[in-house]
Amino acid sequence: MGYQFDFSFLQGSVEALLKGLRVTLELALAANVMGLVLGFVLCLLVMSRWQIVRWPAQLFIEFFRCTPALLQIVWFFYCIPMMVDYFIDPIAMGVLALGLNLTAFNAEAYRAGVQAVPREHLDACVALGLKPWQRTLFVVLPQALRSALPVLMTNGIGTLQQSALVAIVAVADLMYVAKSLATEAYRPLETYTVVALIYFALSLPVSRLVHMIERRQDAVVQR
Amino acid sequence: MLLSQTQAQRVAIQNQPATISSLSSVSAEFVQLRNVCKSYGENLVVMDGMSLNMRADDRLVVIGPSGSGKSSLLRVLMGLEGVQGGEITFQGKPYIRGANQGGSKRIDPKLQKQIGMVFQHYTLFPHLSVLGNLILAPIKVLGLSKADATERARRYLARLGLESKLHAYPSQLSGGQKQRVAIARALMLEPKLMLFDEVTSALDPEMVIEVQNVMLQLAEQKMAMIIVTHDMHFARDIATRVVFCASGKVVEEGAPADMFKCPKEARTREFLEKVLHLD
Repeated sequence: MGYQFDFSFLQGSVEALLKGLRVTLELALAANVMGLVLGFVLCLLVMSRWQIVRWPAQLFIEFFRCTPALLQIVWFFYCIPMMVDYFIDPIAMGVLALGLNLTAFNAEAYRAGVQAVPREHLDACVALGLKPWQRTLFVVLPQALRSALPVLMTNGIGTLQQSALVAIVAVADLMYVAKSLATEAYRPLETYTVVALIYFALSLPVSRLVHMIERRQDAVVQR
Repeated sequence: MLLSQTQAQRVAIQNQPATISSLSSVSAEFVQLRNVCKSYGENLVVMDGMSLNMRADDRLVVIGPSGSGKSSLLRVLMGLEGVQGGEITFQGKPYIRGANQGGSKRIDPKLQKQIGMVFQHYTLFPHLSVLGNLILAPIKVLGLSKADATERARRYLARLGLESKLHAYPSQLSGGQKQRVAIARALMLEPKLMLFDEVTSALDPEMVIEVQNVMLQLAEQKMAMIIVTHDMHFARDIATRVVFCASGKVVEEGAPADMFKCPKEARTREFLEKVLHLD
């Protein structure tokens, strides 16, 4: 391989990269907050006893699960403003697209968590005289959250990676900054390597944490 | 072991006055089922006009082949499932009435709170400590203060020999300990009637005894209980009356000594011969 790696040009770009990183973190964090909260609401809707509530909620989930995330982002950026004739701040739009996508996936994670609560526990709640809302709040929810946590976290770092897609619609996130630096300096290999390492360094601790939690949960189940 | 036809008839005659007297003093019954019917869909009938009387000082042990409706009986009494027909009174008051449309239930919630139940599978909530499991319902349902509920929990755990496990989590307990805690959790609400649905079936043999001892201890304290079990020796030890169910009906009932030595009905005899052989 004759290529000579040269990272020195990046020294002058640290500030630009940090700026991009900030936008990426903002996108990922805001989308995660949205996904965690709305995901749970959506899960409740999907598990509702009324079909009229269940049906649109399920459609929402299927839409986001069955279309590419990149397409969703492009669609949000170009189609929605045209349809409603109103242009929102690009970052807010990015949060909306990423957040709603995560909402759909998190709703499924929550639902699996709720369904993993043994039926006998619900019987025991009735026998103990707990009201339905008390049963949900004190018995089902804590158990469901606990078993959904690893999936929620995995979905969360997934959204961090996916946030790179908003670069395509000119949101100045880490990926976008990398793209401009790479073209300016004719050094795509170095730039993308460094940026990849940044994404990696952000995700790895969370990924390890997920492993740890899963191992601990397995140990509890086996006992 | 089984008595001859004439002896069985004599026992039947002896039992008759008791049956009549229990019918005439309807409201004095602690629990009374009248013609209770329950089925799933068209074909699966689990209670087929079941009738049963229980006095406040009774400890009923319900035996019978699987699918005989004995677990359904407990689940219905606890209010976990509805019935399509018949009615149940508890402490002389109307408690459950069958409803035709989809088997919806009409239950008096005040009476329901006076019944406790322990299940076959461990139903301790894994995210709560033993103490947390015990005080959840007393605080949320009875409105006890946390201090009072904790005090009560200590008392019950001490009685069951588990005071050292107050802060343990269910995953740190053995199966027998879990069932004892489950019993304590039900007792925390100070029920007037306890239901036990095959509570030792999922336990390793060496742990069965510790759970049964707790139940015998409750029996000494005159707790009214209905117990579904496959353990005939235990049934003999704890029951004041044994009820044999088959095909959703009460086929025969009587004192444990009579039931196990000289069952009147052919079906009872057949069942007992089978299970006692296996023991």
